[in-house]
Amino acid sequence: MKLNNTHHAAIGALLACTTAVPSAALADDLNVILFSMPYTQGLDQLEADFEEKTGHTVNIDVVGQDVFESRITLSFTGQTGDLDVVHTPVIQVQRWIEAGWLQPITAAVDAMDTKDDILSGPLDAYLVNGERWALPFFAETGMMAYRTDLLADAGYDQAPENWAEMLEASAALKANDQAALAMRVAPGQGFNMFVYPMIMRAYGGTFFADYPTDLTPNMNTAEGLEALDVYASLMNDFGPEGIGNFNFGEVAAAMQSGQVAMIVDGTSIVAQALDPDASQFADQISIAAVPTGPNGRSPAIAVHGLGVPADAPNAEASFAFIEWATSEDVLTKIALMEAYPDFTRASVAQNAEVIAKYESIHPEFLNLKVQMLGDAIGHYRPLLPQWPQMGATIGENINAAVNGIMTYEEALETSDQDIADIMAE
Amino acid sequence: MQSYQGVQPVFQKNYNKMLYPAVFAVGVFAIVPLLGMFALSLTDFHLIKSWDREFGLANFIRLTQDRRFISSISVMLMLSVFGVIFQVVLGTLIAVGLEKIVPRWRFLRGIFVVPFVVPAVAVALIWLSLFTPTLSPINAFFDIFGITVPAFLTTEYGAIGAIVIADTWASYPFVMLLILAALQGISSDLDEAASIDGATKMQIFWRITLPLLKPALLMVALFRFIETLKHFPLIFVMTNGGPGRSTQATNYYAYIQTFQSSNVSYGAAIAVFLFVFAAVISFYVAKANARLTDA
Repeated sequence: MKLNNTHHAAIGALLACTTAVPSAALADDLNVILFSMPYTQGLDQLEADFEEKTGHTVNIDVVGQDVFESRITLSFTGQTGDLDVVHTPVIQVQRWIEAGWLQPITAAVDAMDTKDDILSGPLDAYLVNGERWALPFFAETGMMAYRTDLLADAGYDQAPENWAEMLEASAALKANDQAALAMRVAPGQGFNMFVYPMIMRAYGGTFFADYPTDLTPNMNTAEGLEALDVYASLMNDFGPEGIGNFNFGEVAAAMQSGQVAMIVDGTSIVAQALDPDASQFADQISIAAVPTGPNGRSPAIAVHGLGVPADAPNAEASFAFIEWATSEDVLTKIALMEAYPDFTRASVAQNAEVIAKYESIHPEFLNLKVQMLGDAIGHYRPLLPQWPQMGATIGENINAAVNGIMTYEEALETSDQDIADIMAE
Repeated sequence: MQSYQGVQPVFQKNYNKMLYPAVFAVGVFAIVPLLGMFALSLTDFHLIKSWDREFGLANFIRLTQDRRFISSISVMLMLSVFGVIFQVVLGTLIAVGLEKIVPRWRFLRGIFVVPFVVPAVAVALIWLSLFTPTLSPINAFFDIFGITVPAFLTTEYGAIGAIVIADTWASYPFVMLLILAALQGISSDLDEAASIDGATKMQIFWRITLPLLKPALLMVALFRFIETLKHFPLIFVMTNGGPGRSTQATNYYAYIQTFQSSNVSYGAAIAVFLFVFAAVISFYVAKANARLTDA
């Protein structure tokens, strides 16, 4: 059959219909992009709850962090308006604000009835230039997990209180042919740069001369050098084989399988070590505060939240999703569904079922976590738009020092130079 | 116009138009993005900062002075050269083994192809666990005998070696399949004639099979070389570019510049360098291949 103009017109009309109909049907859909972690995996399963509660339909896309970075960068720079809600790590928020990628949600947050229930530290982490840019769903801090039996064998009836004691205890454990401590060493602003500042700040080291007023690079100091020496000694002299490439997965696995006596990491990793379903030695593992140093204690902190992209077409619907996703009801459900997520509402911490669940891994877990969150400083990692780039670069230098590719002095000197270069750009 | 017997009249008349979809697809999905990348590399587009829309060669001048970029090229070449050598040697040996030496084992081809269908991220995770002493069954096995296997991923050359091994495991089946196809194109009469003349199997391999495989080997090496220039998932998952910056190959460095440092134009300039580098290599390999084929 030969196609005439009428046939062409009919085919064209049919194609137009088949493409236009789904678009019209999806016009009020919310597109949410998150990267994978216990909370986001739990939220993904509650899609239907949101649809039932609000009438909006939602597509929650949970992807790997690398895919997430590429996808949002393309969406934001292309101003495609295809995303309604975006996973917003606090470490990125300054950069995104400066780039104009987020829209403030101050009025909507202030109008919330349950705003006071949100932990103030994580909530205020998103308060930049007087505006609120996201609502937190996750606030992780640092904590130590240790094997009571192995430390007892080495002559210790409690966890080391400070980093100097940690070195002594590690030496005693090594004498018993036991790898002592595992921490993240893999390079990355969210990898070794999540844990290393706990030691650096405890010894009085800083990234800048006087943050935020004087941003002169300040890593190459006597305090910084001592901290790096302690970190590298703990890892190289007393850590397990291959520690120089350990990330949080390897740290958790080493503790769960009994290959190390202690870990210092985020609360989510410590919870995995205490979880009897995942850890072979859960009943012999206890928890303690992050060790102190001459300059005090500085637990790590990481906050994640949900924000509204600047080009989101329906900001009101976007915020409705955020309010629901960070509500007491949803956070409680996820706290009970998923392993041990780091929720951000006081009411969730008071829920009897949640308390029972966390007490089952350790009676002091929730209390210690609150204490560590209280000790953590908001600018543990500097809240600067340049930090993601800076943190990655410093992480490479610190990793090179631990693995013997640079001397400690070279690593700190190079870090100062890299910070200066990045700030000058 | 030439007439084609048995073809519908509508296509006889407009057969040139059948190319249009392909030309359109290549234009939209290959040429336009490529031109966009070239144009971007001449600007100073930064994700965060404003864009003054001036064009120039500043990014390429910066490349010549960027020590991290220059060091990334040597990492890339080490990964590519050693990777291609191991993949071609292993793939060829298995192909020749299955086709010529023990043809009754041809049924194993399916098993040898398995690594090729494993996604790159899964390959990286498998080898990350094998090279992590606390997770590795290899280390656990040698521990029984009191032998400590070194931690490859914590030393500069060890980490590069680990990535080469992972890439070889994942990619040798590609070489094997192409060489198997090439071997099946070589007439068995040649082997038989040589055999009648008293040549041994080794002599047949070195003097007949291998010379006839040269064009195929050259092309497969080129394909693999270009692929290895694009190393990303193995580095990202296995080493994060570490220890230090030891495994930051050029492609990975382009990612760092684009997505971590927000220097989109500089990242594009690095990508242009990779494109030109691959094009030059391809040109010379194609020339060499043409000489071999003519000979």
